[in-house]
Amino acid sequence: MEKHRVTLRVNGEAYDLLTYPHRTLLEVLREDLHLTGAKESCGEGACGSCTVLLDGAPVRSCLLLAIEAEGREITTIEGLAAGGKLHPLQEAFVEHHAIQCGFCTPGMILTAKALLDATPEPTEEEIRRALSGNICRCTGYAKIVDAVKAASAGGRKSG
Amino acid sequence: MRLPLFQCLSPRSTKEALEILDRYKGRVKIIAGGTDIINRLRQRLLSPQYAMTLKGVSDLRGIKRKKGHFLISAATTLREIVESPDIAGFAAAIAESAGLVAAPPIRNVATVGGNLLQNTRCLYYNQSELVRKAAPPCLKQGGKSCAALKGGTRCFSVYQGDLAPSLIAFDARVVLKKAGLARTIPVLDLFSRNGRHPLTIGDDEILTDIIVPIPKGAYGSSYQKLRLRSGLEYPLVSSSVFLSLSKEGVIDRARVVVGAVGPAPTVVEGAAAFLVGKRPAEADVEKAAESAFSASRPIDNLALPGSYRRKMVKVFTKRAIEGALLSLRKAGA
Amino acid sequence: MKELSVVGKSTKRVDTSAKATGEALFTADLSLPRMLVAKVKRSPHAHARILRVDTSGAERLPGVRAVVTSGDSTGEKWGVFRYTQDQAFLPSDKVRFIGEEVAAVAAVDEDTAAAALDLITVEYEELPAVFTIDEAMKPGAVLIHEHNPGNINVHVKIDVGDVGKGFAASYYVREDTFSAPEESYFQTEPYAVVAQFDNSGNLDIWMPNAGPHLKAKPLSNLLKMPLNKVRVRKITIGGAFGGRSEISPADVICALLARKARQPVKITYTREENSIATRQAHSMTTTIKTGVDREGRVLSRDITCHMDGGAYSSTGPIATSVPFLCMEQAYRMENVRYNGYRVFTNKPIRGMFRTHGRAFACGIDLQLDLIGSELGIDPVTMRLRNARQAGDYTPTRSLVPSCGMTETIEKTAEQAGWKEKWGKLPPFHGIGIGCNSVQTGFPMGIRGGSTAFIKFNEDGGATVISGVVDNGQGNENMIVQIAAEELGLLPEDIQIITADTEVTPSDPGSYSMCETFIGGNAVRLAAIDAKEKLFQVAARALEAKPGELTARDRRIFVKGEPERSIPVGRVIRMALSKGQSIAGEGSYWPKVDPRREWVENPFGQLSETFSFGTTMVEVKVDPETGLVDVLEAWASQDVGFALNPKVIEGQFEGGFTMGGQGGMLTEYHLWDGGRLLNPAQLEYRLPLAPDMPKINSIIVESNDPTGPYGAKEAGMSVAMSAAQAYVSAICNAIGAPIKEYPITPDKIVKALEEKKKKA
Repeated sequence: MEKHRVTLRVNGEAYDLLTYPHRTLLEVLREDLHLTGAKESCGEGACGSCTVLLDGAPVRSCLLLAIEAEGREITTIEGLAAGGKLHPLQEAFVEHHAIQCGFCTPGMILTAKALLDATPEPTEEEIRRALSGNICRCTGYAKIVDAVKAASAGGRKSG
Repeated sequence: MRLPLFQCLSPRSTKEALEILDRYKGRVKIIAGGTDIINRLRQRLLSPQYAMTLKGVSDLRGIKRKKGHFLISAATTLREIVESPDIAGFAAAIAESAGLVAAPPIRNVATVGGNLLQNTRCLYYNQSELVRKAAPPCLKQGGKSCAALKGGTRCFSVYQGDLAPSLIAFDARVVLKKAGLARTIPVLDLFSRNGRHPLTIGDDEILTDIIVPIPKGAYGSSYQKLRLRSGLEYPLVSSSVFLSLSKEGVIDRARVVVGAVGPAPTVVEGAAAFLVGKRPAEADVEKAAESAFSASRPIDNLALPGSYRRKMVKVFTKRAIEGALLSLRKAGA
Repeated sequence: MKELSVVGKSTKRVDTSAKATGEALFTADLSLPRMLVAKVKRSPHAHARILRVDTSGAERLPGVRAVVTSGDSTGEKWGVFRYTQDQAFLPSDKVRFIGEEVAAVAAVDEDTAAAALDLITVEYEELPAVFTIDEAMKPGAVLIHEHNPGNINVHVKIDVGDVGKGFAASYYVREDTFSAPEESYFQTEPYAVVAQFDNSGNLDIWMPNAGPHLKAKPLSNLLKMPLNKVRVRKITIGGAFGGRSEISPADVICALLARKARQPVKITYTREENSIATRQAHSMTTTIKTGVDREGRVLSRDITCHMDGGAYSSTGPIATSVPFLCMEQAYRMENVRYNGYRVFTNKPIRGMFRTHGRAFACGIDLQLDLIGSELGIDPVTMRLRNARQAGDYTPTRSLVPSCGMTETIEKTAEQAGWKEKWGKLPPFHGIGIGCNSVQTGFPMGIRGGSTAFIKFNEDGGATVISGVVDNGQGNENMIVQIAAEELGLLPEDIQIITADTEVTPSDPGSYSMCETFIGGNAVRLAAIDAKEKLFQVAARALEAKPGELTARDRRIFVKGEPERSIPVGRVIRMALSKGQSIAGEGSYWPKVDPRREWVENPFGQLSETFSFGTTMVEVKVDPETGLVDVLEAWASQDVGFALNPKVIEGQFEGGFTMGGQGGMLTEYHLWDGGRLLNPAQLEYRLPLAPDMPKINSIIVESNDPTGPYGAKEAGMSVAMSAAQAYVSAICNAIGAPIKEYPITPDKIVKALEEKKKKA
């Protein structure tokens, strides 16, 4: 069994790795790069805890082989805060009590970020649909939706 | 849990992919979007020596409008189908099907080819080894009898793909290629109706394109799916209907296709009789839906009882016919 | 009460920024030098004798560093109570459910560990197995535990008043039976353990838990180590919901492997293992006979409940009692008999679950609707007439010191527009109500109290040391708010060290809903203790009496004269310069009856106080499909006092979603004998964002006399009252009762068909 040489671009940085092909992007991020924000919760791509952005779109990193992610821009939750300053979504999640145990949070925030990047002023229905693949067991989603609204262009305008 | 060990090949073109399939015939499995096969690998339902990822094959994506049909390359993502104004405009049920698959992050990578070629599913089969190894292997695993219908000798595992019923309703065809050979067959013929080996595609073939004919004249379509929540689920029952009108304003073609009741989508031949030759307002929706009910025999191998799902075949077929009639009216007919 | 500056405000939680950035470390995120990966070999049989375990092949595999079997354990049986000690981790005699732990391997990576598992061969002699309560209790059925005839694990028997007389005096009597299969917790974080021994033989161990001290003692027993060498460490935890309080085989297995390999070991559970090899909720069948007077007041109740406990006792006596106790707290019932049976089956082990028995609670409440329907009394009035009141004693003789039940019913009914909607909604629209109550803790003997310490830095900051654990509900933030309030500091001045058994004093843990009441009170008392010492020093400096002082915004000042003030930091340095250190200590032991015992003596003060709540829900049912659209919800609870309103709302919303939306519409387990067919999220359907209605949270405050600032418990009753409200609303919408839960669409379609046939 041979390892593959692969270069992954994660949060704007390039990492040269040697890895067996059967390892998923989630495993390599967590175990080789120690980026543990993306998590395994369901093991079958159903929960969204493993979400990363691939060229800006949310994907299940547990369903991608690490070698398949070469040449793409990968964004993990660790790449959102810029120079110690939280991303508006991260701020909003904290402000609006959208985080309880926090296990689904990285995936939830990244999925919401992709939504706001594409749709700066989503309706509540659009927010809920965009998050329909992210499972949260603690919050009932109510304050997560509040936080995304607050972080959206409309939310920030009205303060 | 880790995936089983395998070696991975990453072709950069369809030609290269075909060469790999030919060289490693029978020992290699294709990863397109990965949203179906990676799970099955993790559950050790299969353990191939080689995997071949199509993610680097750039010539397998795209929706092209040709004379009289759409050519959808197989690695086009479901998201691209949902966002295509062409598909939404000319093949509503197909766009609806794609949009009802799982959830947006899945649709970002899942491909039309992969969705079409998904394996059949069953509560007793799609399990990790922790659950499967605690019972004798079922028929689909190569064992002697069905675990869902105890002692049964036929596999009732369910084909739960959302796209297939709508593609069939539109008389779509698929192009299957292998080294040196290409063949085009109706989507319906992709299915063997045998739960143990549900697909007729050869293990050295790639599905490269889907051809969706653009019907002439006025027509409408609709896809209806039963699921308990607003996302993440395979259909427990589904129905796709295509209706077209003659110039005289009479239904001249009706395709009623039921999904998720058995190992293959079912074309309900009897339904057409209650729709064809009638004006839309006189269509006998009730009897057409009733014939879909009669043609379906789901068993208790998914989350809800087969008897309930059978009743829902009628309800969702009714709604699909009504949806198609509505989309007919909207088309100005 | 003095005007509060920190407590009572929806301050930002102290733990959530780290979760938003992904920095917060959960157990599976930990990485220690030379750490090994472990996997557990599990039984494929539901009931079998273990004849032989051969690990030689695994031991020889390159990369394997340790293998453990029953021979490596002490063979001691563990149980929550002395009289329920029936589970040997890594058993040597027999296995009792599919998935039970038989051996384990630690290796250099996961692939090697998995390959090693395949090389362990186990010879079993299969035994007959029982999978349902009926099968288990049938005469002649195989015994899962030799000392439990009829496979009965626990029988709780409570008989108060004269039930027969009550029925005889009743105007109307009815009996109904309700049932539900088990649910599961599906905490988003799957179970994981990391264990490491240092060269002095101290064990450091991390795992998601609902009380590190509850884990440490059994570990100490099972590993034969003194408690001071067993250090259950602080870790971010991804949900508990009533689980994760008991020691788990994974904990002991991980420690044994770490000890044997002399390297740190990590076990991570797959989702399937989390569902099969931790705990599930009990499946239950409850028969309830209730007699009422003409006004709908309950005169008599006779309840029999059988619950499927799975293969071992777990928290058996508690689990068998709490469903009943919640209802005896919620509603007055003078004459009541309860027979609760927990039965063993060859299925995964069942434990305490947030919705304590949906068949039980929904049964009691739906029956009130049905009774009301017979008498021409609407559901809200039925609840009001039977509602618990402050000053009452429950049938098992707990005093209820504060009770806002009536207020929760009235406020919820008003905000939901009950009067305008009841009986006036369009066809297949319904509105329903559920009421419930929750204890703030149980008698837990020497582990029932909480102690906190506070130390100060010379610049005026403080650190609170408390055993309180946070599973995501906001307990860490509660500690900071309380300490800041009492000490007159700001939240950012307070650091906390929590839930670490080497450093923090004992605390009962979060699973019995007592962290606010007991843990919060301990922190408050420790802060008050420190404050008194600070005031002694400050009083001299300000030339005032200590009793005239107050503290706020980092200053201590004379009440009414804010100019006569001194910064807290200066006071600390003044004390230090005089050779006096300032520290705080506080303990809280709830006033419960220590003689109360779940089975032997189920009478006396159960917990010091109780919370009460009401949920209402409006639904629309599609009669053709049976699918339910939940239109809007109103959830309220008497929390005593809202320490942080937004945090409490979060508990209401989360509990509503789990108990109501999930528990009543989509969550249930499917079985093939002893095999669990839906252990993961594709087939076990958890609620999703687009399906949730608007949830209006109504916080009611009854200002409990002994809770910290009057606070009691932050929202757990909503998980249950939501379940009840869903049933009430759906049955109202379709005009027919449904007694089997969850109410999946096929059940609605069937109920409508049967209703049509009867008509």
